[in-house]
Amino acid sequence: MKKTAENSYGAAAGQAFDGGRDAFLQAALEAVSARFMLDGASFYEYDEKNALLRLRLRQASGVAFEHEENLRPAPGSAAARALESMQPASASSPGGRFLYCAFKFDCCDPSGGKNAVTCSGLIRLERSARRRRFSAAEAARADAFLRSFLRDYYRAEYFSLTRKYDKNVSAITELTEVFATALRVRDSFRHILAGIQTYFGFDRVRLYLIDEKNQKLKGELSADIRGQIKSISYEEIPLEAGAHRFADIVLGRSSGAFMERYKDCVLYMPLSVQGVTIGLLIVDNLLSQQRIEPQELAMLKSFGGQIALAVDNARLFDKVEELSLYDELTKLPLRRYFNQRFQEEFYRAERFKQPLALVWADVDHFKEINDTYGHQIGDVALREVGRVILANLRKIDFPCRYGGDEIVILLPQATGAEALRLAQRLSAEISELRIAVPFSKTRELRLTLSIGVSTFPQDAAAIETMLEKADDALYWVKSHGRGKIALYSDLPPANGDKAKPAPDMAQELKTSAAGGDNDAGEK
Amino acid sequence: MRIWLLSDYNHKKHLAFKSMLSRFSVAFPEAEAEFSVKSRRSMWESLFAHLRDPKRNPLADVMEIPQNWTELFSRLGLLAELASKVEPLARRRYPDFILKELCRHDEARAFSAPWWLEAPALFFRPGALEGVCGEPGRELASWEGFRSALDKVSAGVKKRGFRALASPYSSGAIGTADVLPRVWGRRGGLFSDDFNRATFTREETAGGIEDWLELAVSGKIELFSPDRFENGPFPVEQCAFIISSRKLPGQNSRKAAPQSRAARSGQRCAKTGARAARGGAGEFKVLPYPGCSEGGGLALVYNLAVSASSADISGAAAFVSWAMEPENLGPFTESFGVFPCFKASFEELLNGDREAGAYRKIFSAPELMPNIMAYPTAELLLERALWNLSLKIVRRDYDREDLTRELIMAQGEADYLLSLY
Repeated sequence: MKKTAENSYGAAAGQAFDGGRDAFLQAALEAVSARFMLDGASFYEYDEKNALLRLRLRQASGVAFEHEENLRPAPGSAAARALESMQPASASSPGGRFLYCAFKFDCCDPSGGKNAVTCSGLIRLERSARRRRFSAAEAARADAFLRSFLRDYYRAEYFSLTRKYDKNVSAITELTEVFATALRVRDSFRHILAGIQTYFGFDRVRLYLIDEKNQKLKGELSADIRGQIKSISYEEIPLEAGAHRFADIVLGRSSGAFMERYKDCVLYMPLSVQGVTIGLLIVDNLLSQQRIEPQELAMLKSFGGQIALAVDNARLFDKVEELSLYDELTKLPLRRYFNQRFQEEFYRAERFKQPLALVWADVDHFKEINDTYGHQIGDVALREVGRVILANLRKIDFPCRYGGDEIVILLPQATGAEALRLAQRLSAEISELRIAVPFSKTRELRLTLSIGVSTFPQDAAAIETMLEKADDALYWVKSHGRGKIALYSDLPPANGDKAKPAPDMAQELKTSAAGGDNDAGEK
Repeated sequence: MRIWLLSDYNHKKHLAFKSMLSRFSVAFPEAEAEFSVKSRRSMWESLFAHLRDPKRNPLADVMEIPQNWTELFSRLGLLAELASKVEPLARRRYPDFILKELCRHDEARAFSAPWWLEAPALFFRPGALEGVCGEPGRELASWEGFRSALDKVSAGVKKRGFRALASPYSSGAIGTADVLPRVWGRRGGLFSDDFNRATFTREETAGGIEDWLELAVSGKIELFSPDRFENGPFPVEQCAFIISSRKLPGQNSRKAAPQSRAARSGQRCAKTGARAARGGAGEFKVLPYPGCSEGGGLALVYNLAVSASSADISGAAAFVSWAMEPENLGPFTESFGVFPCFKASFEELLNGDREAGAYRKIFSAPELMPNIMAYPTAELLLERALWNLSLKIVRRDYDREDLTRELIMAQGEADYLLSLY
């Protein structure tokens, strides 16, 4: 008889395993209700610390339902007796006939702890007051039936834990790969955050990095529960004790009840490389108020070192790339980078039939400046020129230190007239610069630029030609007194070239005469 | 089509829905529909589980949710837009106080359809108040009047098993559903009117919570009640007052719902006892929630939403429309003593009710919980604070300072949440 009961239950439970714990519980309550002709059955977990029975699932009149209920059995009641003795206990009242079957077993800690945890509770079998009581024999049979069910409940718990572990193993493998291959800052930060969200699914993950120079904690990126990533660069926190909770955490000063309260659903993870804190990763379940499982916390903490290394690597990679693509002195991109961008912009201009202008500028008498005042003053001059250029360009413009004192600026979607206006502005601002020259009679140095401009499609139909024409225009300026601007299409005809009008003299700028020392002719 | 229904302390709701679904299956035999009942917490967890891993945790096609979850889950992309698919929504066939919180920022769109509503009210048995309260309507209008009457009733009756006050929708501990009506009654709330800051510690809010806690501290309501474990939530015969957001069995003029098991069982014990235990369930009278006699009390609305990830959004929306039809909605809401949200049905019921006067007052200017993104989480924060306080109360370890500390913590978290969302 018992074997049959177990078999009929086993079939129902077996099917329900795949549906998860709740489906399994539901199948079990339905099975026990059918087997013992019950009006209802309830599954309670026992919270030993608070002596409370927590209703997990109830089944009545053919409907199973979860309900939030935390109640305390009356001392001496059948439920209390069952919990105490772990033996079935029955009770009758005007409310109905009840049989309480208690259970208790050790199981793996569902939150990932190393030690087994005790799971105990009560299953209440119910019949209406009109129906027969539970006999002793029936109570024994029901208890045996439920014990077999609880063995399977343990198995269901175990399977669900195994599934969780499987997920964690794949998380470890794939996240390690993400962290190891993350190189470029912007992309790698995105990959790191997306990787964390794919495997952990927190309500929010935020990454802050320390800006050593400005002593700030700067927001980088935030990823929400849907995996959407956005910049939080507008967040800047002074790295001072007491300025902000995050700053305190990075400085190792955080404590207090508030943090204690947060610990279940927020993890603040300072990112350190070789003992130096480089940033802060914050993951939280604040919106859902769901507990971050200790196992997840432990795993993420173990990733902390890798995440910090990945972040640091990405920053180093960017730094190296910056050094290889940008001129450290002028902060302008170098020729290799410019060539790549020039090709892209030229292709775009051709395809979308948009104008493109190229400005080629040369600092007048730069060689003499170096020879006369030394390379340090020459470097200062170039640095200042670079600063003025960067401050005057649109976001889409692309300047470059082409070599020596030669600077080329690519102006997408700009006509010759627009390029001339920019060139005039640059010339004017640079002519206003005063470079201090110690130990010199004049005490300061003034600079002028010679500038040649070519445009697509008017002057050239290919990249090389465009550079050549801008260089021709620059050469024309240099050979006509320097300190001027010339648009190639305005040049007069020379050396058998097609006839060209003379450049508009209004574009000419007077060579600065104030700084007598820079009047030295270029050799 | 899968449907998730919110669980209810009154099992009749589940049975009524089962019966409603059977009718739907008869009317639309090609539509396969099944439902499961989830607790509020489990529903919340399932929605977030779906956000974390949609493949492993699919949502049901149709879900019953508290109305003020709509903004949160629509902004998280979980809910389908229904205004164009559900006729009562398109024609805005709901009372104005419900429409106000439907979609705060966009009147033309709606991500859930109001289904049914309830409002906390005070039920009393006139027999139990003889010699205690001459004019219940006036004397029980204020919280102080109610408290005074409660003290007198408690002092006058020593019968075992008798409770002066019952709160049948309690989950055992004090919860937000218990305290918020009183908080509203004191014109408090969890957030400032402009929703820029949390106001848990504001005098009106903290005071409202404290009023309810005081009922537990003074033993007027029993926490984690063993009696409830044994006899269920409806010992209506054994109490003088009930605070309930449902009409009690016998209150409905159209058809008295059958009494619950526990209510039936309670009759035998009670009929032999004290003055307070005289009479049947139908003898209960209803008044507005103490402190809300002029309206302005809290109404709780539950909506039907369709999952944006449903394979058949139109089919699911068609079910929602069908469930809103008066002939389907009426029997459902009547079965567990609540009101339909559909305007015509709501007004008809309000006018036809035996206690129409009280309910007209209750619904004269009701307020709904704000439908803003951070609100459901703020409720959870308060719920956690109340759980901690409930445990302290039963351990006789509670102090007013505990309330202040818990509310400061919860407010800090809610403020932080506001800054993030």
